[in-house]
Amino acid sequence: MDNIYISVVEALIFAADDPLSSNEIITAIKAIDGNDISITEEEIEQTVDDLNERYSQNGNAFKILKIANGYIYATKPDHAKYVGFLSTEKSKRRLSQAALETLAIIAYKQPLTKPELESIRGVNSDYTINTLLEKNLITIQGRAETVGRPLLYCTTDEFLKYFGLKNITDLPKPREIEEIMKDEDFIEQKRRIMMSGIEETIENEVENNNDNEPEIEIEDESTPE
Amino acid sequence: MYKIKLQDFEGPLDLLLFFIKRDELDIYDIPISKITREFMEYLHLLEQLDLEIAGDFILMAATLMQIKVKMLLPKEIDEKGEEIDPRAELVKALLEYKRYKEMSEEFSYLESNMRHYHFRSNFDEDEKQAPNDLNVLLKNVTLYDLIKAFKKAIIEKPAEPVHEIKKWNVTIDEQMEYISQKLDGGKQISFIELMKDLASKIRIVVTFIAMLEMVKAGKIGLRESKSLNDFIIYGFANG
Repeated sequence: MDNIYISVVEALIFAADDPLSSNEIITAIKAIDGNDISITEEEIEQTVDDLNERYSQNGNAFKILKIANGYIYATKPDHAKYVGFLSTEKSKRRLSQAALETLAIIAYKQPLTKPELESIRGVNSDYTINTLLEKNLITIQGRAETVGRPLLYCTTDEFLKYFGLKNITDLPKPREIEEIMKDEDFIEQKRRIMMSGIEETIENEVENNNDNEPEIEIEDESTPE
Repeated sequence: MYKIKLQDFEGPLDLLLFFIKRDELDIYDIPISKITREFMEYLHLLEQLDLEIAGDFILMAATLMQIKVKMLLPKEIDEKGEEIDPRAELVKALLEYKRYKEMSEEFSYLESNMRHYHFRSNFDEDEKQAPNDLNVLLKNVTLYDLIKAFKKAIIEKPAEPVHEIKKWNVTIDEQMEYISQKLDGGKQISFIELMKDLASKIRIVVTFIAMLEMVKAGKIGLRESKSLNDFIIYGFANG
């Protein structure tokens, strides 16, 4: 890959609204400069790494994230407080436990039908599914060939972007059942350690935003008042 | 007494896991009668709450009781000659659910992580924008133009159809009384005559219904009239 394409890659990623895949970058470059240009996905990834290295050395406030099968610019976590102040909408809303559970099941089992989902969760999931569909975190992939031809659900690129996953194989690995049994409280403890720091900063953020509610807004399907 | 809020549990499986964890039970050797009792106690707490959620819980309660009964019976044997544990299905479901519940915690962690990154064009839907300059907001438009346009819009708007609902002060009882008066003293009256003095349509309708009521009650009778489309109303002596 010729060095002039470093800034081309930079420009393309910068201008894109959503994560831009290396395929799209290659297509754009070849469409302009001809098919015989030698450029590979690996080279693009290397370019992105180099760019990030340069940004970090210059102390820039942003970097390129590799998520949702593509590349996208994002501001660094250090500035989250300030940027979050201006975009209160996005920093406040979090997914409910029901939504996270449902997403986890769909992510690992996809594509799957609502009855399959509900048999794992043990509860009716109409509301949660609709919420996730609305947020574009899941989508309908088609219909199963089984009786009644139920709808099949799967996750979207928006889902990858939301959780900062590179692609669908980048999902956190579920533990084997035997393993779970060995250390009953392991996850709980780990979670507490991981979350305590994070929750604190989030709460500070929220306070800084002059938010009246001390608690983070959570949508919940199972809380009849 | 241990008090639990419903929103802490995503469903019956979640609740069972909570009991198992709280009492440090062995998930492979669940004391069914103990856990069924606890579950039922919780269910009583749920009674006043959302029926649909309670439905899932009731299903689980039934399952637990079925397992409890099966535990008392001689063990079934599968084709390999091994005893079937009636709890096996439930344990499997619990483990499966537990697995995804844990994963949802991972997702929650990832979510928190990503909240520290902000993408470009993130402020699109935000309201906290600096107000635009007046010259940008009103390009070559004067206040007078606005008033003219507004007036035009108001005038050109088609008149909305107005439906007026009036309350009629007429009741069937009143009109029955009215008919009785007309027939007072054994008089007879033709239907047309009876209706002649009535001011409005609704009064005629109500009077007609009143008349039918009286016929039904056996207070008055109707008979054929000589003139067309009419009949004679007569009262009974005792009516």
